[in-house]
Amino acid sequence: MSAAIELKDVSKFFGPKHAVEHVTFDVQEGHCYGLIGPNGAGKTTTFSMMCGFLFPTTGSLRVLGVDPCEPGALKGKVGVLPQDAILPPTWPVGALLTYFAELSELPSPQSEARAALERVQLPETWNVLAGSLSHGMAKRVAMAQALMGSPPVIFLDEPTAGLDPKIAASVRNLIRELKGKHTVVVSSHNLQELEELCDATAILDKGKLVSAATMAEMTGATAEFRVQIARGAVPLAEVKALSGCRDAKLEANNVLAVWFDGQGVQPEEIITRVVALLAERNVLILGVWRGKRLEEKVLQLT
Amino acid sequence: MEDLKEIGAVWRGETTRALKTGRVVVLLVLFLLFVGLALTGVGLLANQLVATAMKSSPDVDPEQVKQGLMAARKQFLMQFLTDDETMAESLAALPLALLVVFKLTLRFVPLFIALMGFDQLAGEVGPKSIRYLIVRVKRSSIIFGKFLSQATIFALLLTVCTLVMVGVSKLLNPEFGAAELTVWTLKLIGSSLVLALAYLSLTALCSALVRQGAVALVLNIIGLFVIWFLSLAGEYFRFPGEAISGQLDQLRPDSWAAYLRYLSVWHFGQDLLHPDWTRFTAAAVMHLGFASTFLGLAQLALKKRDL
Repeated sequence: MSAAIELKDVSKFFGPKHAVEHVTFDVQEGHCYGLIGPNGAGKTTTFSMMCGFLFPTTGSLRVLGVDPCEPGALKGKVGVLPQDAILPPTWPVGALLTYFAELSELPSPQSEARAALERVQLPETWNVLAGSLSHGMAKRVAMAQALMGSPPVIFLDEPTAGLDPKIAASVRNLIRELKGKHTVVVSSHNLQELEELCDATAILDKGKLVSAATMAEMTGATAEFRVQIARGAVPLAEVKALSGCRDAKLEANNVLAVWFDGQGVQPEEIITRVVALLAERNVLILGVWRGKRLEEKVLQLT
Repeated sequence: MEDLKEIGAVWRGETTRALKTGRVVVLLVLFLLFVGLALTGVGLLANQLVATAMKSSPDVDPEQVKQGLMAARKQFLMQFLTDDETMAESLAALPLALLVVFKLTLRFVPLFIALMGFDQLAGEVGPKSIRYLIVRVKRSSIIFGKFLSQATIFALLLTVCTLVMVGVSKLLNPEFGAAELTVWTLKLIGSSLVLALAYLSLTALCSALVRQGAVALVLNIIGLFVIWFLSLAGEYFRFPGEAISGQLDQLRPDSWAAYLRYLSVWHFGQDLLHPDWTRFTAAAVMHLGFASTFLGLAQLALKKRDL
């Protein structure tokens, strides 16, 4: 698998303000990649540089092997859902999407536009003015334009922000369908959503990259797991003595955290051993999950 | 070829959108109201002057009165519109009302163009809707496509208004012949379009420089004032060593500042109605030159900007 997007030592300064500093990471082809960070971390700036909206101050950025700021270099190859770009209000939705499809030189613009609207479940908005759409509908229409022509790379900035839970779930399903067939970059504050969707992720804080890794590495899914204890005394020393176990400790809310040698032992083996030991010692458990929540990792790093 | 396709697509989309919005209708109505009001006012005044001239000399041959009026019209033109005799003679063939209203219209064309297109780019950069375009087409195609769209809309509005102007003038001046009328209609439309190119480009430039439509409009108006100022300041002075040819020239000091007029596209607008083709061509080339410069700067501004 090769890198669809490469950022090498990319920085962006707005006057004296350093919005992004020396950021380096790759997005593999076909991956769903998450951009994470608190407000002002530089997510949208990084996202905008990848889309060719902003010019990097220093460093090199390639999308599908070309500089995204090069005129016409990514025509028809990327679809973008920008976070705060307003759809031109005086256009009817159908005419607007058809216009965008014409600009992208798609073979049958009107049917592309109709199909994209169907995909976001908004065919009834064809004749509605873009300016009179609700926030959620406008977001889905913007999503529709990003999907038109099935571009190999799709950038989605806050795709579910402001959507009701049902629609947000359908958008997540849509992104899930894109995985593997397209390279998808998602910038979001919704960490649960990113954990569920993404293969890899980059965490930014104050304009700097604090971590870039696969989701499994990020959440420690290959080297740690947690057990939610209902009641009973956890035999911590015995757990630590199990073969393959590197460490164990009781965390807040009666959660047993276990670290293991990911290279030497398979997760299912060590999980079974620990659960069996706990059952033997009459410790009742409520659940087991691998790694730590992405949210915990982000809070720890930022 | 690829670029032309892109420009064509932007032009089609933007023109269709603009024609469906209320702004074009409002501008057309304003333009027509202005033309109608000015034509009626100036037409009535001109007819009254003719009638007074006829009444004051009842014994004189009407043909002589007409010739006298033609001479008076030429003198009026030389006094207020041009100091070029050939030009004044040519323009004197037009009904005075039509000429005055047309000249007045030309004075307002730059402002009209600014009102029509001040937000063509700034209006999309501010709310970032331009981002939907720049992932699909080159930034230069957006500039040229939008410029052509503005030019098309302006040409449509101008044609409608000129036809109304000429039509009303024909009603007020039945002696204005059909052939003459056709030639002058084409001349008026053609010269206005050439004149408009430079101002359409200036508006595109101002709109490409800033993020807010209102700021672009203010910048555009400031730009127009600078253009008018440079032209007026240049014409206030005589060229160093230029001979004094009239009483007015005695009041004009000679200075290198006279060359300032050449920095203003406004200065070249006069010759767009000149009967001498070389003068017309030179003026048209200057307008195209200014248009290319403004449009080139607009392209540069958008190309190098974060959007």
